[in-house]
Order: sequence, then C-alpha cells, then structure tokens
Amino acid sequence: MSNVVVDEAPGAARESRGAGRRRPKMSKRRRKEALFFWLFISPWLIGFVGFLLGPMIASVYISLTEWDSFTPPEWVGLDNYAKALTEDPIFWKALWNTFFYSAISVPLGLIIGVWLANLLNKRIRGRKLFRTFIYLPTLVPLVATAMVFKMVLAPSGPLNDMLGWFGIDGPEWLLSTTWIKPALVILSVWGAGGATVLLLSAMNGIPRELYEAAEIDGASPWRQFWSVTFPQITPVIFFNLIMGLIGAFQIFSQVYILAPGGNVGGPDNASQMVVTLLFQEAFSFYHFGYASAVAWLLFVVILLLTLIAFRTAGKWVFYETEVK
Amino acid sequence: MAAVTPTTTPAHTAPNGRKKKDPGDHAQKRLSAFKASPATYAVLLVVSAIFFVPFVLMISISLASDLTSSQNAFTVIPSEFEWRNFTDVFTATGLPVGRFITNSVVIATLSAVGQVVSSSLVGYAFARLRAPGKNFMFILVLATMMIPAQITMIPQFLLFKELGWVNTYLPLIIPNFFTNAFNVFLVRQFVSRISGDLDEAAQMDGLGYFGVYRKIILPMMWPILTAIAIFTLTHAWGDFMGPLIYLNAENQMPLALGLQYMTSTSNAMQLPPWNLIMVGSIMLTLPMIVIYYLGQKYLYEMNLQGGSAGVK
Repeated sequence: MSNVVVDEAPGAARESRGAGRRRPKMSKRRRKEALFFWLFISPWLIGFVGFLLGPMIASVYISLTEWDSFTPPEWVGLDNYAKALTEDPIFWKALWNTFFYSAISVPLGLIIGVWLANLLNKRIRGRKLFRTFIYLPTLVPLVATAMVFKMVLAPSGPLNDMLGWFGIDGPEWLLSTTWIKPALVILSVWGAGGATVLLLSAMNGIPRELYEAAEIDGASPWRQFWSVTFPQITPVIFFNLIMGLIGAFQIFSQVYILAPGGNVGGPDNASQMVVTLLFQEAFSFYHFGYASAVAWLLFVVILLLTLIAFRTAGKWVFYETEVK
Repeated sequence: MAAVTPTTTPAHTAPNGRKKKDPGDHAQKRLSAFKASPATYAVLLVVSAIFFVPFVLMISISLASDLTSSQNAFTVIPSEFEWRNFTDVFTATGLPVGRFITNSVVIATLSAVGQVVSSSLVGYAFARLRAPGKNFMFILVLATMMIPAQITMIPQFLLFKELGWVNTYLPLIIPNFFTNAFNVFLVRQFVSRISGDLDEAAQMDGLGYFGVYRKIILPMMWPILTAIAIFTLTHAWGDFMGPLIYLNAENQMPLALGLQYMTSTSNAMQLPPWNLIMVGSIMLTLPMIVIYYLGQKYLYEMNLQGGSAGVK
C-alpha cells in the first residue's frame, strides 16, 4: 500500500494509472473533464498568477528601480545589486551572520537530533515520555519561545544566575556582540525535537536483520551505528539538512524579538540577518527597490546552497532501491 | 523534489516497525545496538530536563508577583502563586489582550477554512481529473515550493496597499483561499491512494465531477484535511511577520504580535512586565499543545506524506 505513494514519481506514473481507469470514449467527454480540471485548480491558478508570478515579475522590476512607493519609481538598472555587493557593509555583515547562524545551528540541531533519536531507539522504559519532553518545545510558537529566551538571557536573568552558582560571570547575552548569535543558536537547538522524532521513526523502519547480521559479524554498537543505522537514515538527514538550511537562511522573528530596544539588527548589527535587513530597508526606510534586490540575492544564495547540497548528496546519502 | 520521495519510505514503515517491535522485543534482547545502559537514561533525563526548563520558567514567572517581576528576582521552581496574573493580564497591561486573542482566533480559523476548501479542490483535480497540460501544471506547483516568501513579500505588500487592505485582516486571510503548493501536494498524494472504483461507479450513476468530489472524495479526505487545518491553524496562530507588516492598530493585533508589543511599550528604564508577558506566552502556547494532542494521529498522517515534521 505504502509503496504506491513512494514509487509514484510526481507526474509520471499517475498518467498511466488514470488512463487505465477510464479510457475516454468521446473527445467531448474528455473536453468536459479537462474543463473541470481547470475549473477545480482555478483557486491555485489565480493564486499563482496573482500572489506569486505577478509579484515575482514585479519584484524583478522593483529591484531595478529606486522606489519609496509614494513617488514614481526611478529606473536605476543594476545599481541596487551593485550597492548591496560593493557599497553596503551591512549587507555583507548580514550575509555573514546568516551563514554563521545557519552553519552552526543546522548541523548542531541534526547532530543532537541523531544522537537523541539513537538513544530513544534503544530498549528503554518511558520512551514515550522522553520523546514527549524532547518534542514539546517544537510546539511552542516562535514568539513565545523568543519571549522566554529574552527573559532567560537578560543580563540579570535566570541563566546568568545559574552560571553564578558555579562562579561563572555570565555574558550580557543579547547586549553583547559576541554572544547574541550563540543565543540564537541555543534558541534554535531547543527545537531539535522535530528532527529527533523524524529520525526516530526512520530508525524504527530499519530492518532488524541488518543488526542481527552485524551482531554475528561481531560489530560493536558503535560500529553498528555507523555501518547500519547511519547510512539508513541519511535520506532523512539530508531532507532535514535542506529544509533546515532554507529555514535558517530566512530567520526573522527570533532576531526581531530578541534584539534589544527595538534595534532590529542587534548591538552593532551583530545579529543583523538578511531578512531583518530586507525588512528594515522595506518597511522602515521604504527602500523597496533595494530591499527587492536583497530578496533576489537571498534567493540566489539559497538556491546555490541547495544545489551544492544536492551535488554532494551522491557521496553520502544512501538510497536503497527497496526499503522494507 | 527528489528529497521528498525517498524520505517518505522510512517514515512509512514506522508504524509497522513499532507495532512489530513490542511482541518481538524478546528476540531483540540480544542485540547490543539496542541495549540501554544507565548512561542512556542519565543522558535522556538530563536532556529532557534541560528541554523542559523553559516551560517551568514560563510557568513560575507567570505566577510571580509584580514586585518579583520588577526586580527580575525569579526562581526556576515557582515560589509564589499569583493566580490573579491570569486575570490581570487582560486589564493591567493597558493593551487589549482579550482582543488579541479574538483576533488570533479569527485569523487562524478563517485561514484554515481557506486552505481546507481550496487545497481539497485543487488536490482532487490533480489526483483524479485528466487534462492536457496537467503534468506541466503539477511540476509548476512543485516548483513554486522553492520560491522563498521574501521575493513576493514586497510586491504583495504594495498590491495589498493598493487594494486598501493594509490594517485589515485580509492580507493574512485571503491568500489562504488560493491554497499553497505543499497542501496541494499532500491532498493529491492522499487522494491518489484512494481506489478509483467508487468514483467510477458513481460516475456511471450519473454523478458529475463536482458530485464525485463533493459526495465521494471529500468525505474520505478528512484525515488529510484535518492535518492541513491543524497545520494552517498553528502556522497562522504563531505568525509574527505577517501581522507585523500589515497591522498597526493595537486592537487589530493577534496575540503573537501583541506580546511583542507588550515588551516594547514599557520605557527603557523600566523592565517589561515579565510575569504578565509569560501569562500571555502560556496563552499563546497552550492552545497549540492541545490542538497537537487532539490531532496527533492526523498530523502523523501528514508527516508520512510530506516526510517532514517540525521543520519551520
């Protein structure tokens, strides 16, 4: 049953299925069916044209102009792109910060996820309870999470109090240019439960015979993890890596909320991210042209990273043609 | 796209794998890979505790008195029980917190209705109806998943501004009535798994395409539609950026934005009323946990098909 969905490559196998089910007798009937098809998908089609394709084309145009939306747009060619890449130091800083945040938070979240999933996959009592505790944070709306962390990370907040018990003089987390990014990473790692649960269900699906065989060959648990468990879960890791990277590059709400005193970029732009910069340029300064250019640059960066990830996937992601 | 297909495989086998596990536990006892040591428990306990600390803090601060709050002198374990914070939050902040909640409910509910209606129509068509150009359209649907929201954010804002929708709920609700690629994909996958015999028979009996959708397919779609409703509900409930862009008036704000407003209205010298903000955070969080708990099995259905959970 389950294989039906899995094997079905989007768009390919379905046609033959449909054809086998009802062979068209009259072209008139087929025309009617086609008409209904377009009618049924019209909500998506209208949305696609009105909220996606149209705005995308508009976005390209706007990015080539200077426009505050009150006076007519002024054509400036590629100036906005040139400005971002050569003149605006904050753009590079934001890009670097976003790289830094993504490069640490995504792999760290995955490592913790794999580690926890592997522990939960053992023969333990209270698995359900542990799983719930680890998954619960992912259900908390980001705004609520950010509120708690903002309070926890206050200079005289609970975390520094706790560090104080051990004689550690805690940093001023959100006010410090060094510590605000690690603070954002900690916040993201709190949500590692999402990946954990997915990885756990992937581990559950690994055939037991593989472990039995490894056992007979005398492989240690450590060796079994790297030779059996890990290769089998690489597709899930890969999927989470891609989705995680795309999500991390679009980080916004946490940064906006955690930044002290309405200063969106954090102290000295230390937590300025690409999307917060874009937001500020567009909705605080009404630089719609420049902000649109930044949006396209972000798209290009995300696209490049995704392509690189897919390129390297062949080396480490293990696809079994038939997983039972 | 390639990533979507393979990941569904292990997730799919999971329920079987787990069911099989319990009776087969004896056979597994010998396998060293599954042997839990005291260290396993120690790590899980510590990690669970660390993951839970923010919740405890949220609760203990929500029960702290104003004095404790103004001095930032919280304890991790609750030492005070100011239950009146839970009623004070509606009156003492000077903000229409009651309205925040109603606004959130209205926006989230209508968004969910929009996604359910539109994605079921579109998904059905992609699963069942045949038309020239369908494959191309479906590839287009999948391709749109790759476009980051930031690209369309600015032109959409300018469009909605032109339409006079700024400072209304419309920009947050209406786009949901035009569905999104991921939900279309989910419904299509779900309907593809339903046998076509029934709608064929219904068609013989003279039911039209809309009749088949309405009378045959729609009643069978509810697990996936529940999942989509929950997903949309939680997303709209927690959305921060949308309301931040489109809503300026206090009495229009949803809770997620209102909370942020609560922290920023106090002047720089004064600490935000953390105890009341934590009450608000609990109000923002609790419905999501309840909804998740009630809808767990449908969400599981959705995770099976999307291959992703908790990826935000």
